[in-house]
Amino acid sequence: MSDRRAELESASWSGRTRPYDLIKEGVAALVVITIAVVALSTLFGSPDDKQITFKQWAVAAPADFYATSVQELAGSSGTGGYGAPYNTASDGVNLGPLHLAKLMGVTHPVDTVNDFVITPLTTVVNSGPVADALKQWQASDSKTQSTWATNYDNALTKANQDATKVPAGNYGPVPQLATGLLSMAQAGSLDGALLSQGNYFQSDYTKQTLFLGDGSYFNDQSTASNLQGSTWGMMNETGRYPGQAWLWLYSFWYQIPPFNNGDSHPFGANADAWIMVIMGALSLGLIIMPLIPGVRSLPYKIPIHRLVWKNYYQEENL
Amino acid sequence: MNLKAVYIHIGWFQMSITNLVIILGMLVLFGLALTLPFPGNKKGKGQK
Repeated sequence: MSDRRAELESASWSGRTRPYDLIKEGVAALVVITIAVVALSTLFGSPDDKQITFKQWAVAAPADFYATSVQELAGSSGTGGYGAPYNTASDGVNLGPLHLAKLMGVTHPVDTVNDFVITPLTTVVNSGPVADALKQWQASDSKTQSTWATNYDNALTKANQDATKVPAGNYGPVPQLATGLLSMAQAGSLDGALLSQGNYFQSDYTKQTLFLGDGSYFNDQSTASNLQGSTWGMMNETGRYPGQAWLWLYSFWYQIPPFNNGDSHPFGANADAWIMVIMGALSLGLIIMPLIPGVRSLPYKIPIHRLVWKNYYQEENL
Repeated sequence: MNLKAVYIHIGWFQMSITNLVIILGMLVLFGLALTLPFPGNKKGKGQK
């Protein structure tokens, strides 16, 4: 510490003084802010939409639920091919040679076949055909299971998800298992069965969310509420509630090329990672702004501070 | 508030009326904070 600085810091204040009640000011600010927060959050607080359940999905869109169940068995669903942190099916997003998710590894393993279909089916008393299908599935090897499920998944896709138009083939017990899971979901049992795969006090909804996200029904609800990434969804809420407007810059990058095209490589397909880098760089720029030549001189050219402290500048004739 | 949201959509620009009102409100507040005299500041020009 320089002598001059030490001298300035130890010198007593010789300018004007005025009384200032810090406690009074603090209490007034606390009370006003508390009232404002309670009033505004009551009026404009985040809406309490009812959660989408598997029962709701299975009743409203049974063909979609059925087809998604088959995809989970075949491993062809979004979750099945996602990669880390759920499985090793793909490398996930990358920044050039840097595969971010893969580097972190499979930290939250999800086995779509057992977690989403087989284990839930074993928790209820099934009808004869479903119980037989379950026994047949469990008695077979994984290669045979995969062949059955992939065959039926492909056939169902060709039939536009209409199970009645699927020709006969080597599908094993897959149609019965999907039918059993559909019945279970329609009865409302699947929600509880998926939730119970964890600790006594369950707070991890990853599996439910992933399973819901694999179907079209959940996605359609997002589209209807303008919550898709392509519709600035990051800064929207459901209904007429105000959203997270301060996230506009984060959402902005998803609206422009190349990030708005998920099929374009390398940026569009890895938009999440690249946008995170851009926002990180911008945030870092904001933090170190006082050190950036040119940028740190902007207040001289755009003197908004003179407006904020206009009294001082008037009094001092500056 | 739970009714279907109304959106302004012009080309790439899309925003809900509610978000637009909030953003405009913030800008108006900022403008007022800059221009209005601070309550309780009775000091006039030249007074010290």
